[in-house]
Amino acid sequence: MTLYSASGIKKIYNGKTVLDLNSLEIEQGNIYTLLGPNGAGKTTLLRILAFLDPPTKGTISFRGKDVRFSETSLQPLRKKVVMINQRPILFTTTVYKNIEFGLKVRKLPPKKREHIIKEALGMVGIQHLAHAPAHRLSGGETQRVALARAFALSPEVLLCDEPTSSVDLENQSAVINILKQVNEQKQITIIFTTHDRLQAAALATRTMFLDHGKQSAAAGENIFTADLKEGTGDSSLCMIQNMVELNMPVRKTGKVRLFVDPEKINIINKPGKNCAHGKVVQVSEEKERIRITVDTGVFFTLLMTVEKYRGTNLLVGDQIYLHIPPEAIQVQDI
Amino acid sequence: MDLLIDSFISAIMLAASLDAELFSIVAVSLKVSGSSTVLASIIGVPFGFVVAFESFKGKRFLITCLNTLLALPTVVIGLFVYAFISRRGIFGPLDLLYTQGAIIIGQTILIVPVVATFTISAISRIDDRYRKTAMTLGANRLQTAMVIIREARFGIMAAIIAAFGRVIAEVGISMMLGGNAKGFTRTMTTAMALEYDKGEFVLAVALGIILLCISFGVNMLFHFFQGRTEE
Repeated sequence: MTLYSASGIKKIYNGKTVLDLNSLEIEQGNIYTLLGPNGAGKTTLLRILAFLDPPTKGTISFRGKDVRFSETSLQPLRKKVVMINQRPILFTTTVYKNIEFGLKVRKLPPKKREHIIKEALGMVGIQHLAHAPAHRLSGGETQRVALARAFALSPEVLLCDEPTSSVDLENQSAVINILKQVNEQKQITIIFTTHDRLQAAALATRTMFLDHGKQSAAAGENIFTADLKEGTGDSSLCMIQNMVELNMPVRKTGKVRLFVDPEKINIINKPGKNCAHGKVVQVSEEKERIRITVDTGVFFTLLMTVEKYRGTNLLVGDQIYLHIPPEAIQVQDI
Repeated sequence: MDLLIDSFISAIMLAASLDAELFSIVAVSLKVSGSSTVLASIIGVPFGFVVAFESFKGKRFLITCLNTLLALPTVVIGLFVYAFISRRGIFGPLDLLYTQGAIIIGQTILIVPVVATFTISAISRIDDRYRKTAMTLGANRLQTAMVIIREARFGIMAAIIAAFGRVIAEVGISMMLGGNAKGFTRTMTTAMALEYDKGEFVLAVALGIILLCISFGVNMLFHFFQGRTEE
């Protein structure tokens, strides 16, 4: 079932467009990742989906009903969606009362509140901190309390803004496991933002990549700012960070944003047109695919099936040539 | 110097002997200052909260005006209130002049800007994530406002204490609107002024010591709450 459906969403701050999405569909029960660099519009999108900020333009429907961004209409919707900030803040009271806040707002009886709070604390493994002062907790503990505070409300959607950015490695995996568990057990739709592709791959059913406020099909790999110069005939010469030169079948000049599809890059033995020489620096497995990182002066990522990778016999440290065909390249104006 | 030392020793003895007149003056002072502080808090805290929390045209101008009112001389307020409550004023029939009520009105006008500006400052210092968190947890506007007031509670307490400190030590309003009637509108500061005029320093110094002790206690409380705010 479609939970969110949005079209023509724009958010403009001080005349600058920070988010510009043609369409967006979020299905119930899935885990979505929003990937993208800083300033890509991830948090802005989360705040719109959390009904905390209205879009400047465009329409959103939630469970098939159009959302009206007036305070009275948003109030009931906010009770179905909870957003956890990148650096969550806890009220200066006990952990127990922090979790109790949302339940009190929903006018649940004290007995039921107590039962839910115990369950939520158990879910994130911090039952022993129930009566601890919330503002004296560590980063990892704070993140867990914020998660418990959200789970206790059994929302339909949980929006997490970089849920692991302010915690150590041990707590990062704990947070990821908790989110997985909640999604499986309670069927809560989770949308979270991250910079970490591996984390996104490990957790998400679907990944969306945002760049400069726009959704990109490139899934966050091989994004470069490049200079286009006039080439011969109907082509242009493209220089990526003054290291890699590519021939593009378009007549254009100036600075552009370049996306190179990691699944369309070929490995070849000899130099040729649109080729870059480099060294394999990393090989890893990612959801039944192999990710290869090649240092050509500019880092390129390749994605291929396990079978295809076995055929290449590539090892870390191997010197190879990458062929980047024109169809692997997308150009976006800056 | 001898005069001061002699007066000081006599004043300590007067205070220690629980002199009825002395304690009647202290009681009147505490009563009118306490009442005006309560009234100013009832007006100033919500007013300061709304100014800090809401966005509206002319907000900066309003804050500048409030800051200016902090420096308002007590005699100006005395004159202003006198114009309203004297026999010929519009509230003349209420017979408020030279009563404790008149002092309370004047002192309330004096410290509403104090409470309001300190409240604005306390609310503005509160991290905006508290508001966003309360909203995303389903709180309505009133519940969100209560969360912010709760987080700013130490700052607001400091505002109220600072306001009390201002009125307990003022003399202009009490003298002009209260008339310094013995046992009725005679406050610590007006009594001190009178005793000075009479050349009687013992009671004046005794009242000064008590006033200093009260001010010290108030400041201790103020710094306690300010410290809690900065934690």
